[in-house]
Amino acid sequence: MAPSQTSMFRSADMSMVQLYISNEIGREVVNALGELGLVQFRDLNGEVTAFQRTYTQEIRRLDNVERQLRYFHHQMDKSAIPVRKLDLDVETLAAPSTNEIDELAERSQSLESRVHQLNESYETLKKREVELTEWRWVLREAGGFFDRAHGNVEEIRASTEDDDAPLLQDVEQHNQAPDVERSFSGMNIGFVAGVISRDRIAAFERILWRTLRGNLYMNQSEIPEPLIDPTTNEAVNKNVFVIFAHGKEILAKIRKISESMGAEIYNVDENSDLRRDQIHEVNARLNDVQNVLKNTQQTLEAELTQIAQSLSAWMILVTKEKAAYQTLNLFSFDRQRRTLIAEGWCPSNDLPLIRSTLQDVTNRAGLSVPSIINEIRTNKTPPTYLKTNKFTEAFQTIINAYGTASYQEVNPALPAIVTFPFLFAVMFGDFGHAVIMLCASLAMIYWERPLKKVTFELFAMIYYGRYIALIMAIFSLYTGLIYNDVFSQSFTFFDSAWKWKVPEGWEQGKVLTAELKGDGRYPFGLDWRWHGAENDLLFSNSYKMKMSIILGWAHMTYSLVLSLFNARHFKKPIDIWGNFVPGMIFFQAIFGYLVGCIIYKWSVDWYAIGQQPPGLLNMLIYMFLNPGYIDIPLYKESVQAGVQKFLLGLAFLQVPILLFLKPFYLRYEHNRARAKGYRGIGEPSRVSALDDEDGDGHITGNGRPSMDSEDGEGVAMIAQDHDDDEEGHGEFEFSEVMIHQVIHTIEFCLNCVSHTASYLRLWALSLAHQQLSSVLWTMTLGPTLSMTGVIGVIAIVIGFGGWFFLTCAILIAMEGCSAMLHSLRLQWVEAQSKYAEFAGHMFTPFSFGALLEEDEGLTEFKG
Amino acid sequence: MAQGYSVFIGAIIVAAFCAAAWFLAPKGENQTTWRSSLIIAFVACYLMWFITFMAQLNPLIEPRSGTVRAGYEHE
Repeated sequence: MAPSQTSMFRSADMSMVQLYISNEIGREVVNALGELGLVQFRDLNGEVTAFQRTYTQEIRRLDNVERQLRYFHHQMDKSAIPVRKLDLDVETLAAPSTNEIDELAERSQSLESRVHQLNESYETLKKREVELTEWRWVLREAGGFFDRAHGNVEEIRASTEDDDAPLLQDVEQHNQAPDVERSFSGMNIGFVAGVISRDRIAAFERILWRTLRGNLYMNQSEIPEPLIDPTTNEAVNKNVFVIFAHGKEILAKIRKISESMGAEIYNVDENSDLRRDQIHEVNARLNDVQNVLKNTQQTLEAELTQIAQSLSAWMILVTKEKAAYQTLNLFSFDRQRRTLIAEGWCPSNDLPLIRSTLQDVTNRAGLSVPSIINEIRTNKTPPTYLKTNKFTEAFQTIINAYGTASYQEVNPALPAIVTFPFLFAVMFGDFGHAVIMLCASLAMIYWERPLKKVTFELFAMIYYGRYIALIMAIFSLYTGLIYNDVFSQSFTFFDSAWKWKVPEGWEQGKVLTAELKGDGRYPFGLDWRWHGAENDLLFSNSYKMKMSIILGWAHMTYSLVLSLFNARHFKKPIDIWGNFVPGMIFFQAIFGYLVGCIIYKWSVDWYAIGQQPPGLLNMLIYMFLNPGYIDIPLYKESVQAGVQKFLLGLAFLQVPILLFLKPFYLRYEHNRARAKGYRGIGEPSRVSALDDEDGDGHITGNGRPSMDSEDGEGVAMIAQDHDDDEEGHGEFEFSEVMIHQVIHTIEFCLNCVSHTASYLRLWALSLAHQQLSSVLWTMTLGPTLSMTGVIGVIAIVIGFGGWFFLTCAILIAMEGCSAMLHSLRLQWVEAQSKYAEFAGHMFTPFSFGALLEEDEGLTEFKG
Repeated sequence: MAQGYSVFIGAIIVAAFCAAAWFLAPKGENQTTWRSSLIIAFVACYLMWFITFMAQLNPLIEPRSGTVRAGYEHE
């Protein structure tokens, strides 16, 4: 564990660096560092609003380009043209030069206007087409009206002209004028023809009737096919109407009403010959329009198809470019010297790499001014950078889901690589289930690349944890062998240590008791003779319960030792003597002793020495309630009483040490430093009495105290913002330290008890898993195995199907999920609370890779 | 068939494995990860085997069964 080398044990050493870059190559440097993804830049323009920053113009321009690209994408969606997706794993895009970006901007500008134009003309043409279609319908339908109307001109005239005509006039006129030229114009009757949407027709009619007081003759018919409204692209059912009325004013009124009701009025000739010509003309024009439409559509699609080839690449380029400028906006820009100054965190180990990258960029640009990078000292807490690879990534993620480890603190993910899957396996121990799980995880690892593209969320989650699943499955194989469980059956690899004691006259159905064959014991795992025994649970409960306690004790002791590593690394000896040592003694005096007793009790052959085996639970209870009283001795009674009294006293002695040692030591140290005249940097030191008066008196010369105070507040706020990420070097406050320590002590002592009990979940869950799988066996596959004949075959097939499905769904998926959550809790709470502080902030470097992965707007463009 | 002293043999074997893991772990920046993971894994597995073995070393109860089929009682 050489300190210079990055390892998973602690987060990487970080350095605060300052970069001086010539203004000309600022963009190139940021691009190169973005590809590298190792520097987290600080905002040096905290007081400048987003709009006033140096590169806001460029960002706006790129925003516009992005909008145009999205517009193209939208158009492609509309005409169902597929976008060629970009696989970022295969294709890498070199950082674009400024020229390329300019070109792209220009090109997308011209393309946008072209697409826009095409779209516009397409819409105009479409509108024209609809109009012509409507006109054709009007001509066709109106023709029918006219033909019918010609037959009864008189009737129309009568109904519109003479309100007071005698009832018999009709008859008279018929006789009087048989040869009058039957024409509407001759009668001074005009008409309006048009199209109106069907659901408005009733209202239209009513309004016309009311305003014209019935002085009209209206005819209408439905257009059988729905017409497309070009503005909304919706199908609308419409009716053709023809209204006859006389008098120019009335006709004008009708026109106005029709227009206000949204009807389209078309010109129709009264003469049937002319009408026929009109129809021909309309048809011809309609044909033309349709041709042009088709051409326009084709041109548009061709244009879009061409864009679709490179749209993804453009989109990614623009996103990168925008991110680069946004980063440049964080830099401070020195106008006089034309230099950019950047500050940021980077891993100390990667400093040479960053330096050489800078050198490269400068050389390529042919600049005589070198870019300078230097490390600066700071009292700010560096970010936590935990480097991962594809194996450790998922483990690190489950730790980060709880919190970010403090800078350089022992990384909880390192032991979690084993302890988390192992504790899972203790609960999931079944060889058969583990094999299925192993196959699934191996398949996910073997087809790693193709499966990476699956976007189905639930699967993506399991895929992300494929290496966790692999380790879990491997440990489950082992625990399955230890429990001797395979799909609730057992292996018989070795001879059992037991044999049945068969009495004289035993017959099937009577209870048999086993006896030990000799000294030999079953060498690996649980003896298969227990399997299916009546008192199987009696034995396995006792065994698994004790195992839970021992594993929990081992896990917690290990975790507690890691706090020693932390204290030593941060050079805080008081944490060793005030927290670690008393804590460890307290824990071992009670639970270490219990574990020792469990193992000792196992190692003694109680029947051979003719003594009653003691109950360890009672022993522990009496140890607290009645120190010195031994119910049933485990070893020599007087010694045991003494040992237990001593351990109890030792444990209770640790409580005041835990409580008081650290706070009083800190106070002593603080007072000693004060006595020597040291002060904290952040402490306000009062130089003169005037300073204080200025604060509350507020007698300033300018006579505008209110303005002034507001100003002051504003400044204070910004300053506060600025200080946010800096470490607070607060004044030493004894009460605070004391309260903190009291809480820690109470928590630690109570947690020793509750966390040990919490490990009993290992027993409970593994018991549940084993029982569930044996119930499933007896409910489905088990009974079918004893059937014979054709029915037996069918029953086995059905039984196997049900059994296998339920095994995968309930025992592997559901039970696995629950065991994983319990194991996660043991990792997060029981183990991590012993050593990890989780007060860090994550290192988030400026990286194109991460940026493109996380940008949700780009998902449609990535393959 | 294993005797009581097997736990010590097991401990020696596991200790050898741990030592091998420590010295044979691939060099590089993942060395710590290899060492820590392998050693914890060996110790955890040994611990579980040890517990299971010890629990059966001096049994306080013996298996009883009423479902033994005739002809299998001497197996």
